[in-house]
Amino acid sequence: MSVKEKLKKVLIEDLNLEDLTPDMIDDDMALFGDGLGLDSLDAVELVVVVQKHFGVEIKDMDEGRPALQSISTLAQFIEEKQGQ
Amino acid sequence: MRLAIQGIGVTGGFGAGVAALRSALQTGTLSYQDLMVEHHDGVSDTFPVCRATTEGLDRFVPKRELRRIDHFSKMSLYAAHLALEDAGLLDADLSRIGVVVATGYGPLKTTFNFLDSYLDFGYSCSSPTHFSNSVHNAAAAHVSMQLKLTAPSLTVTLFEMSVASALLSARQWLAEGRVDRVLFGAVDEYCEVLRYCRRHFFGAGEQGPMRPLDFAAQTAQVGEGAVFMVLTREAEATAYAAIDAVVLGHHPSAPVELPRAALLVAGADGHRQCSRWYEQALKDRPVVACSPYYGSFPAAAGFDLAAAALMLKDGRVYAGPQEACANLHESAPDTKVTMASLKFGAGGDYGLICLSR
Amino acid sequence: MTCSVPIAVTGLGCLSGAGMNLDENLVTLFAGRRYPGPPIRFSTDHPVAYPVLELRDEFKLPLDEEQLVYARTGQLALAAAREALNDAGYDDESLQGKRVGVCVGTTVGCALNCDDFYRDYKDGSNPGMAIIERYLRSNPAAVIARQLKLNGPVQTVVNACSSGTDAIGLGASWLRSGACDLVISGGADELSRVTYAGFSSLMITDTGPCSPFDVSRKGLNLGEGAAIMILEPADATEKKRVRGLIRGYGSACDAHHLTAPRPDGAGLKTALNEALQTAGVTPQQISFVNAHGTGTPDNDRIEGRVLRELLPQVPFLSTKGYTGHTLGAAGAIEAVYSLACLERGEIPASIGFSEPDPEIALIPVIENTPLAGRVALSQSLAFGGNNAVLILSAGGV
Repeated sequence: MSVKEKLKKVLIEDLNLEDLTPDMIDDDMALFGDGLGLDSLDAVELVVVVQKHFGVEIKDMDEGRPALQSISTLAQFIEEKQGQ
Repeated sequence: MRLAIQGIGVTGGFGAGVAALRSALQTGTLSYQDLMVEHHDGVSDTFPVCRATTEGLDRFVPKRELRRIDHFSKMSLYAAHLALEDAGLLDADLSRIGVVVATGYGPLKTTFNFLDSYLDFGYSCSSPTHFSNSVHNAAAAHVSMQLKLTAPSLTVTLFEMSVASALLSARQWLAEGRVDRVLFGAVDEYCEVLRYCRRHFFGAGEQGPMRPLDFAAQTAQVGEGAVFMVLTREAEATAYAAIDAVVLGHHPSAPVELPRAALLVAGADGHRQCSRWYEQALKDRPVVACSPYYGSFPAAAGFDLAAAALMLKDGRVYAGPQEACANLHESAPDTKVTMASLKFGAGGDYGLICLSR
Repeated sequence: MTCSVPIAVTGLGCLSGAGMNLDENLVTLFAGRRYPGPPIRFSTDHPVAYPVLELRDEFKLPLDEEQLVYARTGQLALAAAREALNDAGYDDESLQGKRVGVCVGTTVGCALNCDDFYRDYKDGSNPGMAIIERYLRSNPAAVIARQLKLNGPVQTVVNACSSGTDAIGLGASWLRSGACDLVISGGADELSRVTYAGFSSLMITDTGPCSPFDVSRKGLNLGEGAAIMILEPADATEKKRVRGLIRGYGSACDAHHLTAPRPDGAGLKTALNEALQTAGVTPQQISFVNAHGTGTPDNDRIEGRVLRELLPQVPFLSTKGYTGHTLGAAGAIEAVYSLACLERGEIPASIGFSEPDPEIALIPVIENTPLAGRVALSQSLAFGGNNAVLILSAGGV
């Protein structure tokens, strides 16, 4: 499973987005605001999701904000960190 | 100052809605489900629990909005909406309605889910969503958010005295004109850790039936649920009953003074630790104990209040299972009957709520 | 709401990371000292340690062994209550015969979040009930009521971070309604590994000492403590020294989000206006504001905006640099500090602040500042969207 596919799966599971399936989430869709409509509490929960499922730490929201924009940006962030 | 109970919403083992509570009281139907738990020491444990449902909540709150909301807050949301519906207020201006919630143990399951998140995966995986929902005022917060209630909110935790204590402040707000109505609720939930503790305290029994007035025995059975009421300063014609007084005290220091003519709804729920207080206070008084219909949990004191209000509204005494009433006279009660709901804590603390038609 | 009858404050008690009694706290505040550090009483495997403000002295209740059976929060509440009662001239005996109410706020003190017990439970090692029994007897308001053998109304307020402010406001209203003759009111919370894990998971904790209202602020520091005010009807205090008055109390909900404050600060504004109205004072009469000022980006920005809009000329500070965020105790500690500062005619510097935030466009006091006037305002914003405001004045009616 690619990082993007796994991300979509764990996002749906851990954020309890029951009415969604992975193919309903576009790689470049905005996760916050218009788009998937996640909020600030989801953002910090996502940080935990990334730590738990990918072993990658997001230290603070200065680092987190750009990474958490979309599945694509997040996957890229994870791959970069895992490569380090 | 008298308060009026203008609407009741409830979810418990008997189902959801005040009609379901009334039906259980009228027909004497008890609703326990057998639950099997496999404890971490390998011991398998089957016991009856009075579980509350939240099916039907999506009538009021869209499913999508419920994704991060736990059972504790869902029960509260359900009962709160049902109470407003019962009072005919769902479409009314709610700007002057305050929220008061009484809970003995708070959102237990979520509290432990939060601990799981770091005990299982390390502190960096602590779940902020579970943490935020584990504060005791989460239910009140969700009720305010869903109904857009901007008036004051208060959550109170004092174990068995939570309901009576919280009611004092609800009445205070209304007396001061801080709000015009109070959405007053009581909620507690079952969880496995609770069962584990109860086994330690009370042994593996608790198989039922509950005999709340058999003071020599431990017959409590665990339950859960949420009850909400709309409280106002003035009674409208559709009111269930009026609350005349709320008294908190410590029986061993100064014995509770019970209103002379009132029928008592005793919060006795099969806990032998509390028996001696009920035994002392209830001697020869007409009493019903409705706890078998919803089980034992601190917020059940709110259910006792609802049951008393229903009996006053209907002008009937719902005597309950045989082991749960005493000294009831055969003649039909006077329609001006007064009632009182009395709850003791293990140490002799009591909450007395006096009601009348 | 109409103007409330003022309620007298006849005794004060306070423990925190800034001192083991109120006098010690004031010494620390006016010396501009603070003592944040990694937690000592517990450890976690977080990659970084977040500074906290624990009680610095080993906390020993100066009384009998019986009191040691309570959880730390209950003990803190009791210690603050004893200091306040002593200050008000009451001993256990002189309270008998009065109807004494207890109204105390807490967060940790009510939660069944005993993680050591739970870890053992999960491991299958069958833990016994000692910790649970301690939890069941440690509800903070109940601890005070039972230990002092009181027989009046009892309430533990669990409104998250506004609990202490709410408890004092509610306690005052009990007296106005004649529900009792005296109220022991305030708040208490111990530092707990569970809340430490929780707040850091929300990413609102600073990795250094906190900087309320500063442009570079990164989050809060957790703290622990307790504070109690003894409240009595103003007309029952002829022969007593009255330290101050509770003049007004306002409270309102954001109804917006579980953890984030409402961006337009509407709930706080409503609570502020209600407090001013019930106190019968205008913004011009307020000598200073003890802000909630946790040091989180969101809180300080929104609170700052509201202060700029409603109380633009009023000096303000956050004392959370000195105490950390003490959750259920915070509103009570800050109310006690506010009264003590009014008596002294001075407020300490808002420690942790150095650079203004253009988004807030307000600067808290940066040094010990003399006060003009005798009326103060203390406010709290809580998880769940509660906003609570107290207005206090020094001296008698």
